[in-house]
Amino acid sequence: MTVASQRGGGGGVERYTGGGSSGLAEIVEMILDKGLVIDVFVRVSVVGIEILTIDARIVVASVDTFLRFAEATNRLDLYGKGKGGKDLPELMEGVMSSGAKGKTGGVIDAAAEKVGELLGGSNDDDGDDRARRRPRPRERTRERER
Amino acid sequence: MTATYVYGLTYADVTPPNDLIGVDGAPVEVVTCGDLAALVSAAPTERPLGTRDDLLSHERVVDAVARTATVLPMRFGSVIERFGVVDELLAPHLEELGATLSELDGQVQYTVKGQYVREVVLREIVESDQEIAALNDKVRDEPEERVYQERVRLGELVVGELEELRHREGAVAHERLSALASSAIVRSSPDPEQMLDSAFLVPRQRAAEFEDAVERLASESTGRVRYRLGGPLAPYDFVAARE
Repeated sequence: MTVASQRGGGGGVERYTGGGSSGLAEIVEMILDKGLVIDVFVRVSVVGIEILTIDARIVVASVDTFLRFAEATNRLDLYGKGKGGKDLPELMEGVMSSGAKGKTGGVIDAAAEKVGELLGGSNDDDGDDRARRRPRPRERTRERER
Repeated sequence: MTATYVYGLTYADVTPPNDLIGVDGAPVEVVTCGDLAALVSAAPTERPLGTRDDLLSHERVVDAVARTATVLPMRFGSVIERFGVVDELLAPHLEELGATLSELDGQVQYTVKGQYVREVVLREIVESDQEIAALNDKVRDEPEERVYQERVRLGELVVGELEELRHREGAVAHERLSALASSAIVRSSPDPEQMLDSAFLVPRQRAAEFEDAVERLASESTGRVRYRLGGPLAPYDFVAARE
């Protein structure tokens, strides 16, 4: 459960707390790679976690990122700014959910599914469709188009 | 020989919430040694750990206890034989672990993220940079493949501006919140639109003040930056790995 608080006159801060109230993406980021490590522990049991950590940090660099931002810049309605001020938050909702936020979420989802994959898909719906949902480098597609 | 999952360490007089359950629904127990205690449960041995539920269970146990007490979170997936909880984990490290726990005592972690609102910040960038504005005009109505190089260049310039902006503004926001924290860590984010991603260690009695400061930052950002505040949490980012 995420509680959006609106104190402070319009500068809403999205809130989450621990103890079972956060989403998976938050948890992965919160706990992976963190915490006390003492050599007495057997950590052989965590298959896949190291890979997941790396996976979650991959952000498609360079050309793909540049093209994504070029596209976002192109989409700005520079001429409608005078009258459109009030519509901005609504507009922004759409951009945020399909843009950067969505992308990050996708990478983390995909990474989480990677764990399922490595574990042999012990959870029935964790194993499905994972290939389709994995982020793909877009450069390749583009080169074919050209 | 019983595999035991260890969630975290706390003081021996801490009582976890009733009916707290861990990995695979196993009840969480407290194993004490001297002043210290380990939060543990039976660990599954027939399968490797790492599912969504395992991650959620780990965090739930640590933060449920951390709500009212200081907890040193263990790295996810820390498993040891039952007798080893005292003999290998607690007893030989009592002094060292006790010292780490007392450094963090009475403090909680907050994680603060600030994400630029794309529409607003990109507009600022286009309006303040002639080269970007000109390129943007040039490519916006052309078929993508005809102006491929220009599009790459436009994106590169925009990302460069974002990087410059986020480092400058992120540092200011980080400094402001650091003033209320006893320790702060900048976590590196590769996302050019992420202005702030920092973890703060905050004394419990300053928690409300800290939360208010984040609210204030958000309202001052006038819709440019979206803030997310996580916490109070166990001090995940302030527990160093030790050999």
